[in-house]
Amino acid sequence: MNGERATDGLFRKNTVLYSLMVVSPVIVCGNTIKNALALIYVFSAVTFLSVMVSSFVPSKIPYTLRVIIYASVSSLIYIPARIASDMFFPDIAQRIGIYFPLTAVNSLIVIHSEKKFFKMKRTQMAVSLFCHILGFDAVMLVTAFFRELLAYGTINSRMTDIDVLISGLGEPFGGFIFLGLLCGVYRKLSSVSGNKNGGGKNFSDK
Amino acid sequence: MEQVKKDSKGLQHWTDIMVTLLTLELMAFFYYGTHALANAVVCTAVSFTAEVICARLMNRHFSTDDLWCISDALTVSLMMPAVMDYRISAIACIFSVTLAKNVFGGKRNMIFSPPAAAYIFTLVSWKTKLLQYTPPHVHTDIFAKAENLVDSASRVYNLTGKMNYTDFEILMGNFSGPCGAVSILLLIVSAVILILRKDISAGAFTGTVTGTALFAYLTPLMTSELNNVKYSLVTNMVLFSAVYIVSDLRVVPKSNFYAFFYGLFIAVFSYILVLTTALENAVVIISVLFAPLALAMRNLERTILNESISEKNSEGAETA
Repeated sequence: MNGERATDGLFRKNTVLYSLMVVSPVIVCGNTIKNALALIYVFSAVTFLSVMVSSFVPSKIPYTLRVIIYASVSSLIYIPARIASDMFFPDIAQRIGIYFPLTAVNSLIVIHSEKKFFKMKRTQMAVSLFCHILGFDAVMLVTAFFRELLAYGTINSRMTDIDVLISGLGEPFGGFIFLGLLCGVYRKLSSVSGNKNGGGKNFSDK
Repeated sequence: MEQVKKDSKGLQHWTDIMVTLLTLELMAFFYYGTHALANAVVCTAVSFTAEVICARLMNRHFSTDDLWCISDALTVSLMMPAVMDYRISAIACIFSVTLAKNVFGGKRNMIFSPPAAAYIFTLVSWKTKLLQYTPPHVHTDIFAKAENLVDSASRVYNLTGKMNYTDFEILMGNFSGPCGAVSILLLIVSAVILILRKDISAGAFTGTVTGTALFAYLTPLMTSELNNVKYSLVTNMVLFSAVYIVSDLRVVPKSNFYAFFYGLFIAVFSYILVLTTALENAVVIISVLFAPLALAMRNLERTILNESISEKNSEGAETA
């Protein structure tokens, strides 16, 4: 499809760093690895299953109705995912708050599915969707790792002997700053890699 | 030619501000010892290095505009306790140069004062280290650890409405607080010099001082209104911020009329914040929060100027 690869969502057109989708959970909740793992689990399960199930919704139905159906499907899938998350990650859901249920209506399900995924063949769609989800998961984990280390001096709640802690990085404004820097590094890397490939199309250019 | 003129004018502003900041730094050295001086050196070195790296990353040459990173570094160091951990000062300076300044495109595209943004970042991340000070005349060596730290006079005043210092002590900076923001006499002299040499915005400075004085008189923290005016101006870094942060020509609206109201709003809101929450150094926080106001005022100025130019042009065309 327009020269796009199924694996684009992972690096070349990363869900968070390139498309700036699903940014708020990374900024607000991506400050510890435990939070990140819980969000990764719910996001991955809900998004993958919802988009796969929603792909069977006939395209003859008006767009507005289709979007409502997608949201309803993902909300239904969210219920068992949330129950299971309480078993795997007790207390985390309380800490994450509203951002946990909001994963059920994330932009991959509500907007991107219609714009991109449903225009693909189902196998290709599954691979592309998987890579987009992996792209989010990777950014979430990297962000959480560095923010937890620099803000609280821990790695997955285990103490390290870092002397100077920047506790502001654990706050949402620190998340904005860190994600902004990560986006900058990503764009720089992508432009360098674009130049190395014979100055072809720079994939940081939207 | 015009660019060269602008550059030399900018360099003159920078030199004047540097002279006043170095004087404050010297005062801090006499009051608090070599640690304060070393802190300023660390801030300057880190800021300069960060600026050079940013210039290189942004594919531009290091120009006179970039020298402002040094004055910003000195401002940051003067807003901190004399015994601040060097690493924290260094991180604050990196934040100031990279995230508060160069991310937005450098000196000509600044939204808020970089030292103020760095101060808020430090306040959020290391609140207890930032708001604990050594008393004056307690000298700390370069590598000595901070001991017997006390609350600032501003905090005591905000909480109790009492100020146990004579007017002479206040003028000479003989009370606990950020190492550069307590030398009141020097700050007054610096303000006069910088205003006369047009290095800071006279409108914003007057607005800040007027707003604080007016509100302090109308809603006193303590019984005597005049004392309240006096103490409100010398505590919470009001005077220091009025000179080096709110009146910063890089941020403030160009015309003194708009700048006055910009300063006035900042002063009024920060005073209300101090009055209601006893927040220390609220004026620095409010100056950053009011960045959109400065932007809006600058846009308004530009729009009015453009309209008047187009009106003149159309009148000229009609008469022709």
